[in-house]
Amino acid sequence: MDEVATKIVEILKKNMKSNPDKEIDMDTELTDLDIESLDLAVIVFDIEDTFGIEIPYNANEESGDFNTVGSVVNKVRELVAESSDATA
Amino acid sequence: MRDIFIVQFAGGLADRPSLSLVILNNLVGFKLAKHSMSKTAEQRRVVVTGQGVVSPVGTGVDKFWAALKKGESGIGPITYYEVTDDLRCKIAGEVHDFDVQKDVGDINVVRADRFSQLAAKAAMEAVEQSGIADTLKKDGSRTACIIGSGSGGLTTLETGYRDLYRDKIMRTNPLTLLRTLGSSAAAHVSMMYNITGPTFGVVSACATGSHAMGLVYQMIKYGAIDAGVAGGSEASLNWGAQRSWEALFVLSPAGCFPFSKKRNGTILSEGSGIMVLEDYEHAKARGATILAEVMGFGMTADAGDMVHPKVEGAAGAMKLALKDAGLKPEDIDYINAHGTATKTNDVTETNAIKSVFGDAAKSVAISSTKSMHGHMLGGGSLVEGAACIKAMHDNFIPPTINLNDPDPDCDLDYTPNKGVEKEVTYTMNNSLAFGGLNTVAIFGPAPK
Repeated sequence: MDEVATKIVEILKKNMKSNPDKEIDMDTELTDLDIESLDLAVIVFDIEDTFGIEIPYNANEESGDFNTVGSVVNKVRELVAESSDATA
Repeated sequence: MRDIFIVQFAGGLADRPSLSLVILNNLVGFKLAKHSMSKTAEQRRVVVTGQGVVSPVGTGVDKFWAALKKGESGIGPITYYEVTDDLRCKIAGEVHDFDVQKDVGDINVVRADRFSQLAAKAAMEAVEQSGIADTLKKDGSRTACIIGSGSGGLTTLETGYRDLYRDKIMRTNPLTLLRTLGSSAAAHVSMMYNITGPTFGVVSACATGSHAMGLVYQMIKYGAIDAGVAGGSEASLNWGAQRSWEALFVLSPAGCFPFSKKRNGTILSEGSGIMVLEDYEHAKARGATILAEVMGFGMTADAGDMVHPKVEGAAGAMKLALKDAGLKPEDIDYINAHGTATKTNDVTETNAIKSVFGDAAKSVAISSTKSMHGHMLGGGSLVEGAACIKAMHDNFIPPTINLNDPDPDCDLDYTPNKGVEKEVTYTMNNSLAFGGLNTVAIFGPAPK
């Protein structure tokens, strides 16, 4: 796991209601982590703070970006790249 | 008034046939008044089976009580925020022996405002002592959770507004709203223990915890519920709140000196007091240890002034509580006074006690434990209620510290500086809030 993935897993673990020692890899579904919509709002906020990005997320809409840990990591990588392009 | 309660609560029992039957049996003795539709029922006895305290003199009832017995103060220099030069009062009652991760752990509570965290800790102690958790796991529908706060998540709001308006951080923590809600402490505790009955917060400034207890007491008494977690919590020690209290000229820069000639205001503190109340038969049936009986409760409003209390309002609440308890003033052995150390409260409360107690006012032991733990606002009533119950268990009156030079207008026995051993059977807990909102609870020994 690269730095982005490691940081995201840390944030997920911090916000899991149970079993924080559970093994997490890129294919892990967020729904398997006992993460609910309110937790996801907190997680999005934490990720935004950590990476200095803004994630277009709406708890009322389905989003493929938040199905698996890998999809979150990819979305964040993409946004970090966009953000560094914009500031370059 | 009682008749109204019965009608309202009985209305909610339609889906509980067995209980409806019990209530119906009780109502066989309907006393049909001259005006039809009026009815009375047997009233149930209400007992305390658990209590929990988070306070500046100690988290946990035993630690809190040990500090009160020794006359220890929990008031010290403010450490929670930068103490700017413009603050007149640079002291407060902070809670330093509480760690939400270690002491509560529940992730929902860890994320909540501190007022909910303190309530959760006090509720954990009370529920654990009562041993009612397993009963609630099976069915929490006959239990209430009423926990209030004077100002709810005020510190969360202050932080949010500072970020937005001053620091121009245009992102708001997604939990800001939920942390701020005055009902969030009650909601969190209901989730912790599967309490699915009446759950909400109440608000009455410094009488909040007592009003919560009074509601639960009455609901149990008239059969709407069998048990309830009740109390208040406050954690509003922040710069903005300190400034707003100072603007009202009610804070002392020096300390909390109830009933003293030198008293010059109160000291803000934080904390939570929670009790588990239960129908006596319900508690007995499950073999619970009964700490005390709630003998009576009275509440009034001055309908006068926001900050100048009336003798009649406080006296009225004491009279109602005594009547409800079926006790005479001379039966009361100890009064835990509201005793805020403001100019007006202490004289008004003294005069109210005199007007209700008559000759017995001179012999009843009184103290303001706020002299030690400061003013926990909405969180204070049931912390002081815990002091009343411990006074009964220990036959010990906790002192009013900092009382070397009493105000001549405050001429009763306030137990100055040192606690005293005394047989204590019945205790009175006064809460007299801003706005003239008054509550008085009376505790007695466990029924035999």
